[in-house]
Amino acid sequence: MRRALVRVLPYALVGSLAAWLFYAATQIDFHRRPGTLGPDVWPKLVLGLMLAICVYEIVRVLVSPQWRGGAAGVLQEMVERTEQAHPDAAEPAAPKSLPLLLGGIALTAVYVWLIQRLGFVLATAPYVFAFIALGGYRRWLVNAVTSVLGTLAMMFFFMKVVYVSLPIGAEPFAQVTIALMRLMGIR
Amino acid sequence: MEVLEALGVGFVHVFAPTNLAALFVGLLLGLLVAVLPGLTLVMGVVLALPFTYSMHVTPAIILLTAMYVAGTYAGAWTSILFHVPGEPIDVPMLWDGHAMARKGEAAKALGWTLSAALVGGLAAATVMVALAQPVARIALTFSTPEYFAIIFFGLASVVSLGGASLANALISLCAGLLIATVGVDDTYGAHRFTFGVPILSDGIDYLVVMVGAFGLGEVFVRMEQRFRSLPLQSVGDASTRLPSLREAAAVKGTYARGTLLGILIGLVPGAGATVASFLSYGVEAQYGRRKALMGSGIPEGIVAPQTAATASVGGAMIPLMTMGIPGSGATAIILGAFLLHGLQPGPQVFETSREIVYAVFASLFVGVVGMCVIGFFAARYLVKVLELPEVIVSAYVVMCCILGAFAARNNITDVWLIVVFGVVGYLCERFRFPITPMVLGVILGPLAETNFMTTMISFGNDWTVFFTRPISGTIMVIALLTIVYPIFRQLRKRAT
Repeated sequence: MRRALVRVLPYALVGSLAAWLFYAATQIDFHRRPGTLGPDVWPKLVLGLMLAICVYEIVRVLVSPQWRGGAAGVLQEMVERTEQAHPDAAEPAAPKSLPLLLGGIALTAVYVWLIQRLGFVLATAPYVFAFIALGGYRRWLVNAVTSVLGTLAMMFFFMKVVYVSLPIGAEPFAQVTIALMRLMGIR
Repeated sequence: MEVLEALGVGFVHVFAPTNLAALFVGLLLGLLVAVLPGLTLVMGVVLALPFTYSMHVTPAIILLTAMYVAGTYAGAWTSILFHVPGEPIDVPMLWDGHAMARKGEAAKALGWTLSAALVGGLAAATVMVALAQPVARIALTFSTPEYFAIIFFGLASVVSLGGASLANALISLCAGLLIATVGVDDTYGAHRFTFGVPILSDGIDYLVVMVGAFGLGEVFVRMEQRFRSLPLQSVGDASTRLPSLREAAAVKGTYARGTLLGILIGLVPGAGATVASFLSYGVEAQYGRRKALMGSGIPEGIVAPQTAATASVGGAMIPLMTMGIPGSGATAIILGAFLLHGLQPGPQVFETSREIVYAVFASLFVGVVGMCVIGFFAARYLVKVLELPEVIVSAYVVMCCILGAFAARNNITDVWLIVVFGVVGYLCERFRFPITPMVLGVILGPLAETNFMTTMISFGNDWTVFFTRPISGTIMVIALLTIVYPIFRQLRKRAT
């Protein structure tokens, strides 16, 4: 039963979200024109379908917890049959690290927060360095050189070649970016 | 004749310096992406997208298409030489390609791969050119109910053919369709799901969803797996020895079957190069002349998946260019690139932007030949990138994702959104919700809604019009059958 509940959980969460959004769709404020469908109809249709699928899956899992296979794509099944004939090709399951994943997401979020304040260059080089180190790469000099040169190369390419204005950051950090831009001949 | 003339002009455009440079860069990037650890073909095309913002539409599409076609080829090198498939497409190459290499015939195996990619690519490009104009002419006669029916069919086949779970694929598709509704509605000016957040009024850009879910999400998945790379042990050097004409003629049936299957699979939305490659191998193993020897390192086991994989590109370009329906992740991104440059693929582009369409078509011919030439001479150097630590590649993938999201609208909120969609992409992978239906939903959602609403307005809110008009009715019934059939099969399987 516990396993069935775990399997039901994603559908219950998505279903609840869909129900809440359905309610939000009923609150869409617009001036109704007689004889025409409003802007709420399409989202309601989509949300209705989403809710129906979630309810179907929840009922399916709870009614027959032993039955694991849902309806699958026809072509996908054929692919899987071919793959099963060659079990040697299956990759061994990789060990997983939740702390590493959460660390990576947090690091990326901090980077996005910093990029507005420090500017692209000052935020990116340390981020790339930290990301590579977090990923377990321990050749520090290679890491440092890769981070700095890669960041400068990206800055040059995007600002000088593709003409994308990257964030320069707030003062006083903006002055560093501006000095680098001058050095690279970026206007 | 008219088509050949247009194609001739297309070739002239392809050989213009800018377009040729874009083609070369695209091929090189596609080959590298296919070889690089932790980078998939779709991810590569997504990452290249921001670099095309400032380009003209023709070189931009040529670059992305070249990446797409080259990405179906180079992953085979690593499968054959190192027993490490560069892409899921290349898994079947482990069975006969690597077996042939282990027998000391690595160069020969690479030669068979090259010849298969060349034959499959060129044949599919020819079929694409031959079919595109007639299909576009038919599509021009369509009205909004037919368009809605086609989009509905495209979305239905994506969820019902390719997915491991129909329910999860449908939920993913609905999520995409819903994301597309966020923002201010065009007709009424009503705010939908903006929750008072000003930036959401502009809607969520499909680019943000694509880059976040395909790019960043995949990096998070690899990060959780500690960027684990398989140990590399080459069974031969990466030189290529082409098969003789007599040897090639002996497996002409396999070339033909693989090409045909690849084009057909490419035409079907939801089934890309990976499905084509596996199915073609499966068909050869079941019906081929030497089916008993499949898996022991015979040319048929290399030719079948490779011709199909490369041929699927030409097939997938037909619905994309003629009806604006992308059938796979990579074509969805190419559609995104078209839209970014203000061009909506569909039958009208054959009238309004004929030169661009045929330049893209011609680039596929030149690209297939170019990729084989590069492969022949440079495979041994390109496989060296396998030695690059995956974590370094991933760090730059994240950087490119973030730059790509920022560059689209110069808006930092989009960057936050890609982090959110990166987490969504990770969760999708983790809980087996396919990402492609979501991305297709975001791209095709506005088109589907517009055609649905216009039909409702034009036909007095009578939804039966989708079923009573002959063409839309037929397409709708086929679409519904593609969804109902897997459910019926599941119920029957359960009953037995």
